[in-house]
Amino acid sequence: MQKKNGALNAIKIVVLSVVFLLYIFPFFVVLINSFKDRKDILMNPLMIPAKLNLNNYIEAFTKMDYTHAFVNSLIITIFSVILIIVLSAMTAYIFVRRNWKFNQFMFFFMIASMTIPFQAIMIPLVKIYGSIGMMNNKWSLVYMYIGFGASLAVFIYHGFIKSIPLELEEAALIDGCSPLQTFFKIVFPLLKSTTVTIAILDILWIWNDFLLPSLVLISPEQRTLPLSVFYFYGTYTIEYGYAMAGLMLAIIPIIIVYLIMQRQIIEGVLRGSIK
Amino acid sequence: MNIEKNFLSKLKTYLIFAGPMTFAFLTVVILPFIYGIYLTFTDWNGISATHAFVGLDNYLQVFNDKVFWSSFLLTLRYVLFSVILVNVIAFFLAYLLTSGIKGQNFFRTGFFTPNLIGGILLGFIWQFIFSNILVYIGELFNLPIFSASWLTDPNKAFWALVIVTVWQYSGYMMVIYIAGFMNIPRELIEAADIDGANSYYRLKNIILPLMVPSFTICIFLTLQRTFMVYDVNLSLTNGGPYKSTELISMHVYNTAFLSQQYGIGQAEAFFLFLIVAIVTLSQVYFSQRMEVES
Amino acid sequence: MKRKKLLLIVVSLILMLSLVVGCSTTDSNSPATTNNNASTESNNTSTESTESVKITFLNSKGEIQSQLETAAEQFAKENPNITVDVIPAAAGQSPFEKISSMYASGNAPALAMLDPGDIVQFKDNFLDLSNEKWVSDTVAGALDDATIDDKVMAFPFAIEGYGLIYNKVVLDKAFGGSFDPKSIKTRNDLEDAFKKVEATGVKALEISPMDWSLGGHFLPIAYTAQSKDPAQVYAFISDLKAGKVDLANNEVFNGLMDTFDMMKKYNLDKDDPLSPTYDKGPQVIGQGQVGFWFMGNWAWPQIKEFDTANEQYGFVPVPISNDPNDYGNSEIPVGPTKLIGVDKAQNNQAQQDAAKEFLNWLVYSQSGQDALVNQCNVIPAFKNIELVPNDPLAKSIEQYISEGNTLKFITAPLPADHWSKLGASMQKYLAGVIDRKGLVNDIESYWESVQ
Repeated sequence: MQKKNGALNAIKIVVLSVVFLLYIFPFFVVLINSFKDRKDILMNPLMIPAKLNLNNYIEAFTKMDYTHAFVNSLIITIFSVILIIVLSAMTAYIFVRRNWKFNQFMFFFMIASMTIPFQAIMIPLVKIYGSIGMMNNKWSLVYMYIGFGASLAVFIYHGFIKSIPLELEEAALIDGCSPLQTFFKIVFPLLKSTTVTIAILDILWIWNDFLLPSLVLISPEQRTLPLSVFYFYGTYTIEYGYAMAGLMLAIIPIIIVYLIMQRQIIEGVLRGSIK
Repeated sequence: MNIEKNFLSKLKTYLIFAGPMTFAFLTVVILPFIYGIYLTFTDWNGISATHAFVGLDNYLQVFNDKVFWSSFLLTLRYVLFSVILVNVIAFFLAYLLTSGIKGQNFFRTGFFTPNLIGGILLGFIWQFIFSNILVYIGELFNLPIFSASWLTDPNKAFWALVIVTVWQYSGYMMVIYIAGFMNIPRELIEAADIDGANSYYRLKNIILPLMVPSFTICIFLTLQRTFMVYDVNLSLTNGGPYKSTELISMHVYNTAFLSQQYGIGQAEAFFLFLIVAIVTLSQVYFSQRMEVES
Repeated sequence: MKRKKLLLIVVSLILMLSLVVGCSTTDSNSPATTNNNASTESNNTSTESTESVKITFLNSKGEIQSQLETAAEQFAKENPNITVDVIPAAAGQSPFEKISSMYASGNAPALAMLDPGDIVQFKDNFLDLSNEKWVSDTVAGALDDATIDDKVMAFPFAIEGYGLIYNKVVLDKAFGGSFDPKSIKTRNDLEDAFKKVEATGVKALEISPMDWSLGGHFLPIAYTAQSKDPAQVYAFISDLKAGKVDLANNEVFNGLMDTFDMMKKYNLDKDDPLSPTYDKGPQVIGQGQVGFWFMGNWAWPQIKEFDTANEQYGFVPVPISNDPNDYGNSEIPVGPTKLIGVDKAQNNQAQQDAAKEFLNWLVYSQSGQDALVNQCNVIPAFKNIELVPNDPLAKSIEQYISEGNTLKFITAPLPADHWSKLGASMQKYLAGVIDRKGLVNDIESYWESVQ
């Protein structure tokens, strides 16, 4: 029995390793080509570069206005995610704990809205916010992310809050806490694992988002990282070397965070899906 | 927990807790959506200051547009294969990674990595792989399957899209399935083992029924994302070769911005919304009934 | 229970109200209010003295983005009160999409570089430039597409041309001496040249299968070579729209497609004609693996990377018949391909003036001309500019212009999705998925669907 399991495990590991290599291969390709010039890339895309030529990175770093774009991405992501978390946790809480018809209706309405394709709203969105002068501004973008992030975050919190026993809150209320105090003192701390999940999902989404910022942010100094990378590509031709380095520069921060926090991230997503 | 007794205190509680989110949600998602529906009844081209009311003309045009329907059928095919493959592979990976083998955290980390990067960039990376790397490998080892770029053959380009989609989403779905597996009580499986159940029996009668909630979430998420996929389509095939891989989102987009028929594009988008809403909501409805039954 | 219902009604009323209010603000999107918006915004964003002006320039030639940014910096140095932000319409985004979102958002660029066909959509938003000095210095024909209702609505930014690019080293070897591009006057001449090139052991030509190349450049030769008289060409296109053209029996179209059939036989990638990307073209022509490549002068920077012919390249026409005297057999399509409009709807007077100033700077100042011609590698559309881009393809085009051997590079009369939709049909034809009859059918039904 033991032996059979050992063989089985070996097969499993081999299968997983092969699949693993397939999953990692694209990143490897980007990495090696980010050190080569365009001509070498086109001649032999698989060749390991002979030396670490950082020209592409220097070029990409300056042309992308990297520090600026990085800071923009950081500000937008942090503020959007914090606001989405706080506001949607409160919303989900009231949806769960007050079974008013209107709350049920709003909850269903939000879930249903997850099926609206972004294409269907993007131009009206731009037109409406343009006419009230809210375009080309980071904070407008943050506001829009709150709106777009509402459904999923409320949905996930909703599932969790349902599973929290009522007794604690009732005790707090008897002690004279207002509903708001009860929420922040008792309920919100209990939601920690869900909050991590939502934070991760929303960070990944907002950090990488392209279409919405491309519509909202117009002047170059407002650009986020994905926008900067994207503007790196020419119309008819692709400067592969620069582009690969640009891709790496956009990926690196998130990979670093991922490597440091991988356990929390995977576990966060894990917990997020247990209702 | 209904503390608020009268309407005003209810309103106050609602506004304090859900007011800001409701407002943002309605003004960012719903208001533009409704305004967009209004635009489907006009001949607006996206630029001009004026537009005329054209009634249902745009919808009639959409229903008579053969290209739209072929794009729609292609999307259905793409959604079908992607949803099946993503979920089968994710389930399989999750199954392997919960069987207690060495390095399972390492593998989980690796499989999840594609989710760290946005669709546009993924598309660019894979475009490079399909049209440069694989062709190069094909020449090197004389493999006829890679002798030409996959992106130039309608059928292979379609599968390229499916492959990238599977690569992109299976890691994420895998994590959800892992959560599902970890939720299955050990005792149940051990009890089945003692009863001498074989692994097929165990899978069919114990694991699968308990995994229904995970399937509900994963299938919902994959349906929703694959129906609306745009960025990978754009940066991987851009609809080519000869418009054979133009999925519905891209068709909508091109009608609105390339052919400059904004009203028709918006009407197509509204149609897309109806389909996605019907498919995903009925999927959730039916699988929740399955959950109750099992 | 009743309370709850009441709550539902009241809250939904409040929400409805907020929706209606939102709607009415969008309806009041009159030019006057947006104008105010634009001017207050510009005042807010300008950090320098009150007289400083900030304008945006939408660039739809992504490949010269950094050169234009440098040009804008130079301009700002010479005009310290004006800042020009160059914004690219990125790859995969149509310029029209970018600009429509900018207009919708009330942030229309002061200068918008667009494809000629898009200009007509903006005739109410763009400034009439008829009285600008550069109008009288423009080369003949370059303002045709920019002129709407007898008013000049846009500035011709670049002259471009296309045809069969040849590598002179390869051709010299094939012809056993110095190759004369003028010797190619008929389809048979071209086939003869292909055979000679193949006899030297390299392939004859590369056909790049991008839709914009086949549908936007190759196919339109069939329209533009119909007649020397531009009015006749426009009439032909109106007839196409009206469904009055019998394309299957059109001599020029069939002649062009016969040439295409012949080219297909000698195509380097004929086994898998849709596989090459744009990048392959510069590589194979530059390294002399083929003698010819169907493309335009914009390809020079990429060819240069692979150049092995000591920068000796040029164009030969795509012949449409075997009669050397036929129109189109000695001419290549040349014309303005990018036009710049000045917005008047959302930019204030100072911004409009600054935009006009920038255009004048490009045409009349030494540094502007240098930026345009030497940095951006653009063939200027102005008689007063004597600089010529220092590249063989631009020089070849200049020669065709000076000899009067040009066809109209037809863009504006074509609908905006022509290149994309008929480019797809041309790809099918190239790959052998449809035959001539199917192609004719595609083209005719496309034109009939155009509103």
